[in-house]
Amino acid sequence: MARVARATASRPGLPHPGALATPRSDNAVDAFVKRFTGSGGEVARADPELPPGEWLARFLRGLEPQVTGVALAPDVPPELRPRLQEAAGAHASAGISLAWGAAADTGSLVLPSTGTRAVQLLPPVHVVWLPAGRVFARLDDALLELGAGLPAAVGLHSGPSKSADIGRTVVTGVHGPGRCIAVLS
Amino acid sequence: MHTRIRDYPSRSSEIIRDDPGVRDAVTGATIAFDQKRLQGYAEVDADAWRRWAEGVKSHTLTHLDRYLAEAETQLEANGAEVHWAADAAEAREIVMSLAARHSVKSVVKGKSMVAEEIDLNPALEAAGIEVYETDLGEYILQLLEEEPSHILGPAIHKSLQQVQELFADRLGSEPGGDPDTLARAARRVLRDAFIQADMGITGGNFLVAETGTVALIENEGNIRLTTSLPRVHVAVVGIEKLLPRMADLSGFLQLTARAATGQPIGCFVSLVQGPASHPDDDGPEAVHVVLVDNGRTDVLAHEHAWEALRCLRCGACLNACPVYRQTGGHAYGYVYSGPIGSVLDPGLLGLHEAMPLPFASSLCGACEDACPVRIPIPEMLLEWRREAQEEGLTPWKERAALKGLASVATRPGLYRLAGRIGSRLGATGVARGLPMLGEWAADRALPQPSRRTFRELWRKGIE
Ligand code: SF4
Repeated sequence: MARVARATASRPGLPHPGALATPRSDNAVDAFVKRFTGSGGEVARADPELPPGEWLARFLRGLEPQVTGVALAPDVPPELRPRLQEAAGAHASAGISLAWGAAADTGSLVLPSTGTRAVQLLPPVHVVWLPAGRVFARLDDALLELGAGLPAAVGLHSGPSKSADIGRTVVTGVHGPGRCIAVLS
Repeated sequence: MHTRIRDYPSRSSEIIRDDPGVRDAVTGATIAFDQKRLQGYAEVDADAWRRWAEGVKSHTLTHLDRYLAEAETQLEANGAEVHWAADAAEAREIVMSLAARHSVKSVVKGKSMVAEEIDLNPALEAAGIEVYETDLGEYILQLLEEEPSHILGPAIHKSLQQVQELFADRLGSEPGGDPDTLARAARRVLRDAFIQADMGITGGNFLVAETGTVALIENEGNIRLTTSLPRVHVAVVGIEKLLPRMADLSGFLQLTARAATGQPIGCFVSLVQGPASHPDDDGPEAVHVVLVDNGRTDVLAHEHAWEALRCLRCGACLNACPVYRQTGGHAYGYVYSGPIGSVLDPGLLGLHEAMPLPFASSLCGACEDACPVRIPIPEMLLEWRREAQEEGLTPWKERAALKGLASVATRPGLYRLAGRIGSRLGATGVARGLPMLGEWAADRALPQPSRRTFRELWRKGIE
């Protein structure tokens, strides 16, 4: 550290330029949907006529390939939990999480580590409840709101796992989930 | 890290002459990346973003001691341990003692340039620890016992066929499998590695002083897994990676992704504050941040070179560089290759060690135009050349090339004109303008230049 201080001493301190002004969309939910799907994410809207947990169970049953066991994050409230066979993260074919929120400008779901990381990362399909009122216009706004209450870790998920390392062809689901589905409620 | 920089002229000729597939693969990949960057920049006010990012980084670097102290305090408050490594040997010792302390038998790694820089893998393996590179490109190279050749696509110099043969041989995948099948074969092996690993080792794209946040950007999800599943996470981070506040992070996450691949943000970002503390959090029980100097304070104190410490390792300058496109990163002989390597390596390793990298450039300016933090690479190359000349380090051939170049490069109009004349004259004319290409032209491996100049060509993103 003393070495660093010596190294910086030779140069006058330059000022911080302040905040970066980036545009805020008028309709954050629409902007989120556009960005998120643009990066390969999928968006579903829960049917308001059905109890959410039941809607989700039907939705999951409709997925191909067949969902055989779901891993449920502990912070998903009872009314949002589908009544389906449960499985641990490593063995589940779908993980169900609750987003803390989302950012429209980057199309990112904000997932705190208190939601159990294995659920967010191990199953091939990740389904994320996203309350529409929790979509922030900008990632900056979301991170500042998260600010003081930061958990041990936060994941920003902005689409499915991707790689182009083999023959420059994009493949999905390399390590993380190959499908990432945001469910707007 | 052991360097082979001195062999740059012979290795670059060798690669071009003996392994033409490398040039095809690298040129194809870099042109595609570069095009995506241009699109990514076009969607935002890129000039304003780049000026802002330059400002934040320069501010941080001129107050680096203060922000490092703040980051340390915050990380410790979050329950993470902070370790300081003056050089590569110290950094290795720290990680090795952590591995011993936590009884580590196997390690999963996320892509980290600093880990390459400090030669971490051989040290771990020598201690009998199993090491898995988990980035798909890095994993391919680990199987091949090769070093990465590009910041972003470490294996971009490998063709599909080479990976097919490798995986058939080593993972027993069916011969001729498509990329999907091959990726699934790697996923199976690495998924087990993740679940069994005791320690995850990553680098860090940023370290936010205000909150003690290590931020990591990626597309595969392997870094999310590396920072989440093993019981210990070690982040090896260069001391220049600091950002002052959380309010700075979002801009940098976006700009890095746009510069690197044109994406609005990486598919996954991990923000790591410390070990898991909440009962529902299944993350690591210990988080260590190793802050590595290894020559960086020397760079910081250097009159000109310090600006290279703004680098985000996005790879945009590599993608834009007509010289890098000819050989890929291996020719450069050190972990940091391409334009940024040519200005950073002399600072990190000493100019003597890094010769003749400052001459491996045509000073065309494409790197600076691409750079998200506006590092004046061509100017810095000229400064290093001047220093090299003063210290009597330049061989006659490079000095001769320098003479003509230095005068035109400081006047871009004249340089462009010289380039255009060169392309009318054919290979030797161009070679005279592109110093290191002189050797390649002599090997007759240089393609006949198109009648358009390099500068016109990379503007269009086609060869
Ligand atoms: S010098 Fe600039 S363009 Fe090159 S890798 Fe660093 S940040 Fe990217």
